[in-house]
Amino acid sequence: MARAPGSFLTGLAYYQGVPVWRHAQIIQWALQIVSGIVVVVLVASFFANITNAIQDRNIPHGFGFLSREYQTPIGQHFLPYESSDTYLYAFGVAATNTIIVSIVGVILATALGIVVGVARISGNWLVSRTALVYVEFFRNVPLLVQLFFWFYIVLTLPPVRQGYVLADGIYFNNAGISVPWPSPPSWDAALVWMAVALVSIIAGVVLHRILTRREELTGKPSYPFLAGGITTVVAAAVGWLVIGAASGNSPFEISVPAPHGTFGRIAGGFTISGGLMALLTGLVIYTSSFIAEIVRAGIQSVGRGQTEAARSLGLAPMAALRYVAFPQALRVIIPPLISQCLNLTKNSSLAAAIGYADLTNVGKTMTQIAPAVSIYILLMVAYLAMSLTYSLIGNLYNRRIRLVRN
Amino acid sequence: MASDTDIPRAEALPPPITERGIVGWTHANLFSAWYNTVLTFIFAAILALALWFGLRWIILESDWRVIATLGGNLIIGQYNIEKACPGQNCFWRPQVSLLLVSVLLGMAWAVSGDRVARRIAIGAAVVAAAFALLPYSLERMGLDVRLLLVANLPAVAAGWALARFTPLGTVRWTVIMGVLAFLLTLVLLRGLPGVPGLQPVSVIYWGGLMLNLLLAVTGIALSLPIGIALALGRRSRLPVVKLLCVVFIEVFRGVPLITLLFMSQVLVPLAFPEDLPTNSLFRAGVVITLFSSAYMAENIRGGLQALHPGQAEAARALGLPGWQTTLLISLPQAIRNVIPAIVGQFISLFKDTTLVYIIGMLDVLEFGRAFIQGNVAEYLDSTPEFLLFIALVFWIFCYTMSYVSRRVEEHLGVGQR
Repeated sequence: MARAPGSFLTGLAYYQGVPVWRHAQIIQWALQIVSGIVVVVLVASFFANITNAIQDRNIPHGFGFLSREYQTPIGQHFLPYESSDTYLYAFGVAATNTIIVSIVGVILATALGIVVGVARISGNWLVSRTALVYVEFFRNVPLLVQLFFWFYIVLTLPPVRQGYVLADGIYFNNAGISVPWPSPPSWDAALVWMAVALVSIIAGVVLHRILTRREELTGKPSYPFLAGGITTVVAAAVGWLVIGAASGNSPFEISVPAPHGTFGRIAGGFTISGGLMALLTGLVIYTSSFIAEIVRAGIQSVGRGQTEAARSLGLAPMAALRYVAFPQALRVIIPPLISQCLNLTKNSSLAAAIGYADLTNVGKTMTQIAPAVSIYILLMVAYLAMSLTYSLIGNLYNRRIRLVRN
Repeated sequence: MASDTDIPRAEALPPPITERGIVGWTHANLFSAWYNTVLTFIFAAILALALWFGLRWIILESDWRVIATLGGNLIIGQYNIEKACPGQNCFWRPQVSLLLVSVLLGMAWAVSGDRVARRIAIGAAVVAAAFALLPYSLERMGLDVRLLLVANLPAVAAGWALARFTPLGTVRWTVIMGVLAFLLTLVLLRGLPGVPGLQPVSVIYWGGLMLNLLLAVTGIALSLPIGIALALGRRSRLPVVKLLCVVFIEVFRGVPLITLLFMSQVLVPLAFPEDLPTNSLFRAGVVITLFSSAYMAENIRGGLQALHPGQAEAARALGLPGWQTTLLISLPQAIRNVIPAIVGQFISLFKDTTLVYIIGMLDVLEFGRAFIQGNVAEYLDSTPEFLLFIALVFWIFCYTMSYVSRRVEEHLGVGQR
């Protein structure tokens, strides 16, 4: 290594024989430290300002409010909720509302998106053109406009007493749609049975895997799907009968909605509120137009030669699709699909505009009484947790399908 | 074995009637198999029904007076009301901004020499001029307003001539003029204290489509450079820089925009010293820009990742320093590869500007909704007409953007090399 020339003092300005102001590593570290300090100072002053402002203006703060009673009704809720429940619980109810809209929305939007995406590349001119118009219209119009439209449609439905009765026990009116729904006479028996059902499903899946493996290894037909399905159904049914005999009534009974009281309000069963209907319709149609394009690109990314090669190797048409074309298309489809699902979850926050009690909507209502900054922190944490879950699913999938190059 | 030449050849027959012309086309595209025939009939029936009811609604039942009543206020919101602009008519200020846009479109047409740019420039000017000829709301739109609208036609021509016959006809000058026009627009709309005719108009009165476009243009212009910086930071070898960029990107991508906007309403005034002029427009602009740059960063990072490492290695081997390798070799190719994703983000940003309603700003959607809410008896039933009109306006802008992006890709030869 070249020795730096000059005296001891000028020698200090050299590191590994290079002047420090030109040494790449030292410059990089100096830059990092400076940028780190700048950001830390900025963030610290941001929080210091907020803290000062809170103290100066006597704004309520802290998280003590979480154990107090919320005392505000929540429109549609999936967890049991009373006005006397705490803020923390109400926040959980709102988070559940967001999660349920996301799950149902993701399933429906994916299904519709696949249908439209396949229609987009249909050989039938009329079908592919219709799908094209659908995609180009719905993805180029703001979701908020679409949500307002669906909400207006819901509001113009007839009131409860003149509402439609679609079938026995299915009511459709401007309060929403009411359908028969299982409800447990006692939660203890229901929970036990749900645990039994979960175990039956796991047993069925495990059996399915073992038999599939056997079929792949030995070539003997083992009917994995049939065997797994029968195991699950039989185990769950036996559990149902045993628990029913032990507790005196069955774990779940079907509750049929019916008009009650002087105003003919629909009670019993399960009611999907008008706001939820509008929100789901808007979210599903909007997101499906994006998913359709993803599905189309995925299918088109698999070369025609792949299917042809599989067919010439003797695979049946369905098998060629199932084992050759489909896995390759999925590799292209899944990552952007997951990001669309995350978008759907985040877009469900537009519920604030049409009165469905999602996280943002309830959070917004809470800030009118409770400390705003604390609620913002809770909201951030809740949304970041959801987005991290999606990233986790995406990363796990990416790791599984990563191409192994030898 | 006889060779081919020994066999007498017959004259080639024309393809059968079922494979030619209209018959052939319908056969191949609509009735190629029994299930396709069924699908064709089902879809034809559905489309015919939709067309029947749609046309009947548009011709017989729909009532578009709500659009006529809202008129120019859909474009400028409350900018022209007496409280915003006491004692004078301020309509001319947004209109002069529109003229600036027309000049720029004319320049872009001449500089690019592209037929799409020509169509957009002429189309925009014709639409603007057509508004001057609309029969309604004479008392709202005086002669001066109408003349300024018609002036968009010569403005496009002037921009075209400016770029064609002067040295200003380069991409660089068009961009510089664009920035100048944007700043001039802000000054015009905001006003200058003490200047007659340019009295300040508070931003709380800015609204309508003008507000959506202002937020979108600001967001697009700023989120691209910020996004590039974030993407480079995230790929940096420096751990501190990388960590900061990752945290920024993930936080802004993880939380919905509407939640961020609504949080900014309370948090930003608390976090900054009180003398800082933070108004709702400023807050919305900052939040939308930062939100969009986080997404932009991920798009550009995708482009950088897809780039073959040989490109950067070759540049380094030729002796280019690191920053030149990035700026001249990696970034241009990366951005070229992800143009659809970037423009998709622009479109999404433009659609997202409707969310500013949550902080009480009257954009084109919220202005109309507030008007309908205020006149329920008269206009509530016109909600579908209004929403359809707004949908059409947004659709035209968004579709134009994606059309232009495809055109730019063709020009750059993406997928051809």
